[in-house]
Amino acid sequence: MKTIISAKNLKKSYRMSKTNIIKALKGVDFEVKEGDFTAIVGPSGCGKSTLLHILGLLDRPDSGSLIIDDIDASKMKERRAYKLRAKKIGFVFQGFNLIPTLTALENIMLAGKYGGQKLGERKRRAQELLEMMGLKDRMNHRPNELSGGQAQRVALARALMNNPSIILADEPTGELDSKTSLEIMEMLKDINRKENRTFVIVTHNDEVARTCKKIVRLKDGKNV
Amino acid sequence: MLEIFRNMWRRKFRTFLTIMGIVVGIFAFTVMGSLALKLNKMIEGGKLYVTGQITIMPKGSAVEGMGGGGNSMLPVDTLDKIAQVDGVDKVGPMVSLSLEEPDPDNPVGGSFSFGPTPTIEASDLNSEYKNRNWQTIAMKEGRMIGKGDDNKVTIGINIATDKNLKVGDTIKIRGRDFEVLGIVDKTMTGPDSYVFMSIVPAREMLVESNPFLKSLKEQSDKAASYSDAALSAMPADIRKQIIDAKAFKIEDVNTMAGVSWKDGYNSEDVANRIKDQFKDKVSVLSPVKMGEEIDKATTIFNAIILGVALIALIVGGFSIINTMIMSISERTKEIGIKKALGASGRSIAWEYTLEAGTIGLLGGLIGMGLGVLVAVLINNRMASRGAEIFLIEPNFLIEVVIFSFVLGTLAGIIPAIRAARMRAVDAIREL
Repeated sequence: MKTIISAKNLKKSYRMSKTNIIKALKGVDFEVKEGDFTAIVGPSGCGKSTLLHILGLLDRPDSGSLIIDDIDASKMKERRAYKLRAKKIGFVFQGFNLIPTLTALENIMLAGKYGGQKLGERKRRAQELLEMMGLKDRMNHRPNELSGGQAQRVALARALMNNPSIILADEPTGELDSKTSLEIMEMLKDINRKENRTFVIVTHNDEVARTCKKIVRLKDGKNV
Repeated sequence: MLEIFRNMWRRKFRTFLTIMGIVVGIFAFTVMGSLALKLNKMIEGGKLYVTGQITIMPKGSAVEGMGGGGNSMLPVDTLDKIAQVDGVDKVGPMVSLSLEEPDPDNPVGGSFSFGPTPTIEASDLNSEYKNRNWQTIAMKEGRMIGKGDDNKVTIGINIATDKNLKVGDTIKIRGRDFEVLGIVDKTMTGPDSYVFMSIVPAREMLVESNPFLKSLKEQSDKAASYSDAALSAMPADIRKQIIDAKAFKIEDVNTMAGVSWKDGYNSEDVANRIKDQFKDKVSVLSPVKMGEEIDKATTIFNAIILGVALIALIVGGFSIINTMIMSISERTKEIGIKKALGASGRSIAWEYTLEAGTIGLLGGLIGMGLGVLVAVLINNRMASRGAEIFLIEPNFLIEVVIFSFVLGTLAGIIPAIRAARMRAVDAIREL
């Protein structure tokens, strides 16, 4: 199977003040094949979110190489990175991160706008996705009118909007109860199976991690 | 677009205050601008008039251009001589005096008013002189006075409205009755408040109301009654006085005169020739010089009026910048999400710029509406007194609204660029 993400010796440090420099990643290797369902696990502060942000081109490594779908992304400038984010990568965040002023449908459609879809196409696809998530009747609800599980399903639909090959999820079950967590995980795996999309999930929950095909462990900014 | 309004609605009170900042500025801009437009238009009409003739004033008249109340006159003798100057076509004697008799206790007039005060503009109906730019005045009703209409007048629209007069009615002016022969159509300029009259009754009225001229005339009438024999018996100094008094003729009562020039002659050359020859008797106002003077006054006036309004607007602009910077720091997280979803810096910048532009546009529409409302209300109140002070011009209003949108957009650019430059990961970390 084709390697879709390949990262070698990624290093990243943050300068918090003149004397306080945090080394978040101290040389991490990471590889994901197409259709993989990978969990990045480790204690908090181990650098797993930083790694996910770098994989999602939201941040750039200080050094090391990063190849995404055969494109060298380690030194990619922002004005090219946003296009790659829009087309190839979908994000799911811990706090759902829906835009509070927009309805469920509009939140999903927004991603389509940045992905360059036309309005009619956007609406049709967003409706389809909501239906798939079983949220057809919640279409015109604002985020504050949705339960945690519903909000996360809207966020997942949004991540799928531009048909990305890679979905990056940062603690997707972090704010959900265990029953809903399992439902969401099942849903992710279902999509992974049926649509052969690559999933990378950051979690500190071993129960969630155990359901994943592959586990990458980080500790103190390094592979374990 | 809908999202912009929802975002603005999130902080209703703050948005309201910001819009009010623009409203105040645009309101001032609309009102001041309409005032400037009106005054410019009036001045423009006056400019057309003064540049259509060489204006002659007696040397030392109180207010140049107004010919008001001064004791200096333009004797017919001088005017006849001016008519002989090379290039002069015709000379038209004129008398200009206020419609109401001046109050002896308050000669300047107690109230400040916009627009011209009602004025009698009298010219010699037998003269062939005509102002080059004002030969035809559009009539609303009736016709302009002409030869033989010594007891008739043509009146401006404001006089007609004010005194509720129609063609054929009688108007009492300084104790005399005149028949209204015509009403001039609205010009937005001086003629709206004019009474056009023959110079014959106007001269008599001027003499009656001017103590100096009145005594001069009385002396003259008295002097005429002395026989030559009686005169020669008098002492030399008194005799001289009486002879001087006898020389006074009613035809000499001219407060100003218009001079037209022959075709093919340059108005400035003709004006200079008159100036050279009659330096110590008359002031000569050439068309070009008058035009320049008026332009200078207009420019300064406009700069002051619009400057005041612009300051108000700049303050409004800063309040937009402030509001947008606050909105953006509140929505940092959203900007991060949008970037994660694949929004380009440009599309983020565009959203915020448009939001600021919308604030500007709303403020502009409301401010312009209020400005027009106030201008119309004041105009309606003033109309009965013949002095509308605002000119409401659709083109200007459209420009005002476009301007407020552009102002808002410009004010939004700096905050929008800040939003666009925000690094996605920093914005996301705000979670």
